Amino acid sequence: MRGIRRALAQSLATKVILSTVLLSLGVISLAGSALNSRLSDGLRSAAFNSAISESKYTFFDAEYKLAISRDSTVDERKKILADIIVNATTQVVKEARREVIFLRVPRAVKPSISYEMASSFVRPKNIPANLRIEVAKSAQPQDMYTNIQDSAGYSREVLIVGKRISIPSGGPYEMYIVFSLQDQTTTLQLIRNSLLITGSVLLILIALITYLVVRQVVSPVREAARIAMQFTQGDFSQRMKIESQDEISILANSYNEMALSIEQQITRLENLSRVQQRFVSDVSHELRTPLTTLRMASEVIYNQRATFEPVVARSSELLFAQIERFERLLEDLLEVSRFDAEVAVLEPIDFDVINLVKRCVTDFELGEVDTQSGIRVESDSTSVLIKADVRRVERIMRNLLSNALDHADGKEIIVTVVATDSEVGIGVRDFGSGLDESALIRVFDRFWRADPSRARVRGGTGLGLSIALEDARLHNGELDAWGRPGKGAHFVLTLPRIAGESINGRPIKVTPKDFHEDIFYQ
Amino acid sequence: MVVDDDQDLAEMLGIVLTSSGFDVDLVSRGDEALEVFRNNPPDLVLLDVMLPGIDGIEVCRLIRQESMVPIVMLSAKGETQDIVRGLEAGADDYMQKPFRDKAELIARIRTRLRRTNADVTGLLTIGDLSIDVTAHEVHRGSTVIQLTRLEFDLLVALAKDPGRVFTRDALLSEVWGYRHSTDTRLVNVHVQRLRSKVEHDPEHPEIVMTVRGVGYKAGGPA
Repeated sequence: MRGIRRALAQSLATKVILSTVLLSLGVISLAGSALNSRLSDGLRSAAFNSAISESKYTFFDAEYKLAISRDSTVDERKKILADIIVNATTQVVKEARREVIFLRVPRAVKPSISYEMASSFVRPKNIPANLRIEVAKSAQPQDMYTNIQDSAGYSREVLIVGKRISIPSGGPYEMYIVFSLQDQTTTLQLIRNSLLITGSVLLILIALITYLVVRQVVSPVREAARIAMQFTQGDFSQRMKIESQDEISILANSYNEMALSIEQQITRLENLSRVQQRFVSDVSHELRTPLTTLRMASEVIYNQRATFEPVVARSSELLFAQIERFERLLEDLLEVSRFDAEVAVLEPIDFDVINLVKRCVTDFELGEVDTQSGIRVESDSTSVLIKADVRRVERIMRNLLSNALDHADGKEIIVTVVATDSEVGIGVRDFGSGLDESALIRVFDRFWRADPSRARVRGGTGLGLSIALEDARLHNGELDAWGRPGKGAHFVLTLPRIAGESINGRPIKVTPKDFHEDIFYQ
Repeated sequence: MVVDDDQDLAEMLGIVLTSSGFDVDLVSRGDEALEVFRNNPPDLVLLDVMLPGIDGIEVCRLIRQESMVPIVMLSAKGETQDIVRGLEAGADDYMQKPFRDKAELIARIRTRLRRTNADVTGLLTIGDLSIDVTAHEVHRGSTVIQLTRLEFDLLVALAKDPGRVFTRDALLSEVWGYRHSTDTRLVNVHVQRLRSKVEHDPEHPEIVMTVRGVGYKAGGPA
């Protein structure tokens, strides 16, 4: 039942065929039964009319023969009666069609001689009592349909016509002619069977025709669906075939126009993206070469600053520092535009993430002599092998650490590494100025700074966290941020152990373990 | 020898290198580089990727055909395929513009020029290879295998401590003189190139073996 319902829900063809067959079944059975009843009525009334007229003649004939036998002997009269019976029953080929019986009217004065007589297959008990009453009452012939048992015990439908006649010296008698309706019943049965067979064949044919017709409509629709599916999957060259001028071809036409327009749009966008990519690459080359010269020149000047006047010496320091900053900014910008152009490629290799984290931390501790923040690395494992783009993971770590150092206010920074079978989580927790709700939403935005008035200790470009997020997502990983004003911040990087696989959870929760919401004091 | 189409940068490199005690030839076109190279064979070539005439990668290939001189590519692009193409063409090292600092450039050049593994002398064996460190030659039986100086250094670095697993970072610092870098592509490409020269079947290396997730080690003597 559920299977049928599913087939109905999923297939237009099944639905249409089923409803057509059901409706046709209704129409055919109505028409069939109407036809059947008309035919049987017609047959019945024809048989009835012929029986009545035949019986009129037979009665008349019998009355006449009896009338002229007034002067005959009893035996002669019995002979006449037998002749009447034989005449009436042998009028037609089939003996079984007619039976005749003479019965004495009951309650009449019982005469000495009985003329009760019958043809071979009828008995007095076959004549229904109420018919006999009718016949006895009336001078006109009376008729009645009934069933009689034949000698073999089968019930047969018959028409009995009876009339009161008088037999000279015998008194009032009833004469009955029994017409067998067996032929008629057989014919009706035949008609009924033919109707049934015709109806069934018709029904099957209708189902078949519906199927063919529906297929004509449904298969272009299916084809359209298939083509649209392929289009969705990126095969923009797919078009529908137009073979006629019907509604389906109109659909195909508009679909093809839509596909063409989408394809053109995509091509245009692809071209734009290619132009953009090209531009990025050109900018990179064009800017980098002069920047290299600038950089080296400023370095030469900077190294000589001891011999300059103080103003020139300071200027050379500023020049040197700003060129460096400019360079970092250019690198970050190029990286961002690579992400935007979707040309950033992952180059995963196997490496130990704990090793990497420790090395980054050491690098920072060596480089950051001016900060008091210590960095502590906590992990249950000593080595966690992952397959990822080591350059990007290191860049994420550096961005997170640099961000934490910028906001730690000299307090400790804790880096935790937790690995599960399929993911690795790296949390960077600081206890500095923290972030409020509105800042958390924007923390990954480009060029966004938590506190614009804050000194830029490390001279970050404002793109670091945004690039870190893109780097994480390129691995199918995630970068989450948590923060409370005055309670510090917590950034959690979650990466799949094998880059590109999906992450099913967060080994480290973004809300730090050490933090409990002070709901009771609010 | 410095090959760069940007005259100002070439001149600046010239100033920096001269002040560090190197003699410098400046070439600005790719098609001129080879001629200058033949006339006055340098100890080291600094080669820009983008050059008029023929590009730097082609120049690198041509030089490599006739000399094992150290070649350091200068790349402004920093796209992986450019770097890998340069390394595959035979470059020993590459530097991305803008250079991190002058000291880094000088340090890399000095590493490439210095006789690395100066502490190692005599004969080393690794697999069925014998390495004559003093003569700077590698033999398999009676055949001499031609290696660039860097490939030789890489092989010696592994062979002098057979069985020890070198991380890519360790090799970077030992062979290339990097103080810190995570660009292990350099190591990967050179290991591939070295294998193509010394292995019987580079697909199943027996001399330079990969230790998955860690790095490389030398195969034991045959």
